Amino acid sequence: MSALDDCYNIFDLRDAAKRKLPKAMFEFVDRSTEDEVALRNNRAAFERIKLRHRSLVDVSGRSTKTMLFGKEISAPMAIAPTGAAGLCWYEGELELAKAAAKMKIPFTLATGAMTSMEKIAKEANFRLWFQLYVWKQRELSYQLIERAKNNGFEALIVTTDTIVPPNREYNAKNGLNLPFSPTPRFTMDIMQRPGWFINVLMKYLTTIGMPRNENYPEPYRRVIGQDTFAREVMRQDSLNWDDVKIFRDKWPGILMLKGINRVDDALKAVSAGVDGIVVSNHGGRNMDSAAATIDMLPEIAEAVGDKITVLLDSGIRRGSDIVKAVARGAKCVLTGRATLYGTAVGGEAGANKAINIIQTEMNKTMAYTGCNRVDEITTDIFFADRESNRMAGV
Amino acid sequence: MAALDDCYNIFDLREAAKRRLPKGLFEFVDRASEDHLAVADNRTAFTDVKLRHKSLVNVSGRSTKTTLFGKEIAFPMAIAPTGAAGLCWYRGELALAKAAAKAGIPLTLSTASMTAMETIASEAGGRLWFQLYVWRRRDLSYQIIERAKAAGYEALIVTVDSAVSGNREYNSRNGFALPFNPSRKFLMDVAAHPGWLLGVMGRYLATIGMPAHENYPAEFQGKLTSGIAGRRPEMKVDSLNWEDIATFRKMWPGILMLKGVNRVDDALKALNYGVDGLIVSNHGGRNMDSAAATLRVLPEIADAVGDKTTIILDSGVRRGSDIVKALALGAKAVLTGRATLYGTAVGGEAGAAKAIGILKTEMDKTMAYTGYNRTDEISSDCFFGGLGANSRSV
Repeated sequence: MSALDDCYNIFDLRDAAKRKLPKAMFEFVDRSTEDEVALRNNRAAFERIKLRHRSLVDVSGRSTKTMLFGKEISAPMAIAPTGAAGLCWYEGELELAKAAAKMKIPFTLATGAMTSMEKIAKEANFRLWFQLYVWKQRELSYQLIERAKNNGFEALIVTTDTIVPPNREYNAKNGLNLPFSPTPRFTMDIMQRPGWFINVLMKYLTTIGMPRNENYPEPYRRVIGQDTFAREVMRQDSLNWDDVKIFRDKWPGILMLKGINRVDDALKAVSAGVDGIVVSNHGGRNMDSAAATIDMLPEIAEAVGDKITVLLDSGIRRGSDIVKAVARGAKCVLTGRATLYGTAVGGEAGANKAINIIQTEMNKTMAYTGCNRVDEITTDIFFADRESNRMAGV
Repeated sequence: MAALDDCYNIFDLREAAKRRLPKGLFEFVDRASEDHLAVADNRTAFTDVKLRHKSLVNVSGRSTKTTLFGKEIAFPMAIAPTGAAGLCWYRGELALAKAAAKAGIPLTLSTASMTAMETIASEAGGRLWFQLYVWRRRDLSYQIIERAKAAGYEALIVTVDSAVSGNREYNSRNGFALPFNPSRKFLMDVAAHPGWLLGVMGRYLATIGMPAHENYPAEFQGKLTSGIAGRRPEMKVDSLNWEDIATFRKMWPGILMLKGVNRVDDALKALNYGVDGLIVSNHGGRNMDSAAATLRVLPEIADAVGDKTTIILDSGVRRGSDIVKALALGAKAVLTGRATLYGTAVGGEAGAAKAIGILKTEMDKTMAYTGYNRTDEISSDCFFGGLGANSRSV
């Protein structure tokens, strides 16, 4: 697996994924929305935070392990729901889920995934979370919730930040539509990545056939490529707090809302009885004017961090980012692109490598800052002179 | 020495060094860690500080001379410990030490250097400091301390910012590791730089053989080809703590400094352990990439303990004006690592002397512009708008 051997960080994995995937697929994963301001600012906000190392603390017994919802995980990270893993690699969701299980971190399966939750539950059983996009016909969503319950999923994550389909111009330019529709441009694109064509698409066609959105409710579980009106039926602009109450009644396990970026919303979430919220701007993929999540985190954590579990995603590429998020009150982060790049380059081994890189980097940052345990990480390690205070929004 | 004649500043020396050294070795010296945020910000912090000249002061009697630990030096600078001088030039540490002695500034010999501390003491002379990486087996470090004492070293510098090795991905990518690991990639690299191969490696092989870590304890003094990649496991010191400092203080009657103290609480603690000096350092940005720039960290450390101990700064000094800025914010001297290594790589002793001379001349000019006759007159009174980026908001 020489492509993987040459990767020493997430950015290397990204470059390798770029070489492997059809352009349209790569950009679907890698890019975000409109002018990609939110995407860049997510990174810049992490990079603006400067740390101080602490000298002469014996850190030989340090560990990145932490407790999340009452159980131990190897580091405060989990796999975010993404729809494209199954297109980055043959049965990519399963590969990613297996890597997460081996590395002892939770895996979130997306509603838009191409591997059924039954198969994931059977073959990759560590901590499994299911992410829910809500159908206009609520009854269909209730069926999915039941299905996730029956398959022993530990948590349900309701995405609340995708009220309308985002403005992803590059997908249109690339001729990529999910569900697939074979535009001439996309077909040309695929021809230039024969490795992907043979190892991903052909493998599907010669085994299970065209991949389907296996977690869609039965009426809509079509071969991707035929389902042109799924967007319409998945319209979420009527989703509201009453739905959350119903989900809470139906779901006895851990319930999280993904995309809570306002204090008033966070307080409402507490009232609605959810167990956790994810501060998220959807990796910058929805509203391009969104603020960086690491900048929004402190006020959310301050308001509700002692009542529910606050998580963060959007922009995690380095282990030091996790340390910074934990310092500002997140109990865990989710990685989307970072682990998808790995999956695209090497399936389970690639996903494993991505997780490993991030955890190693986190471990080093803990050593430098003198933290032996995750719960010792606080903003005490931040450097904030007047200038960086202002820039980092402390 | 045509290459040297074309060099008018440290950046020219860097370019010349880049042409001369194998890529793996040049990047080992020149690059830093991860995304190179810390190394870039170290520079930005200096260039952000704007000065005002002072008119009509008679500065014809000015001098860069200063007193450090009770003795005069030619200007407030000393050579930082670096492991690679002996690979940049045939017996490079000795060349650098001779240049420092002639220029009247102290030299720090690194634990990882390739010239025995006794050889440096007898052949170069001058004010000699020894930098200590602590061995996991503490008794080995005690032997080294005794050896430095016997060889007449004036100061012992304990590096306290390297609990774990820096995440230096480019070394792996270049197939470069210390001790040397003759990877195919690095051998190809060397073959493409015959000047270095003949002038450095060839001369070693024709005289003393492969260079060895001559300041390691006897049982670890293998040739550079005999070891494993990276820092030796015996030198992994993530257990280093304040008790070790107490022990070193008892063993070392001379000047004791800690290198890499960037927190006020650590600085205050250091006073209790009776150290004589603190070096504000982020290891040239080579360890934690989120590290704050040392010039931004310096003021609060100097405010807290500057009247009780000697504060020195390193990381990012490339111009004489940087030294003036560091002194204005409370440092008594700076250390240069890369700046003088580039010179050594280009022209041995003459190159090191040139680098030192350039920095001294630049400092002298900056003193003249800002109206200072003596180094103890230098204060932030010459700053425009306070520390760096603050000036933008004034």
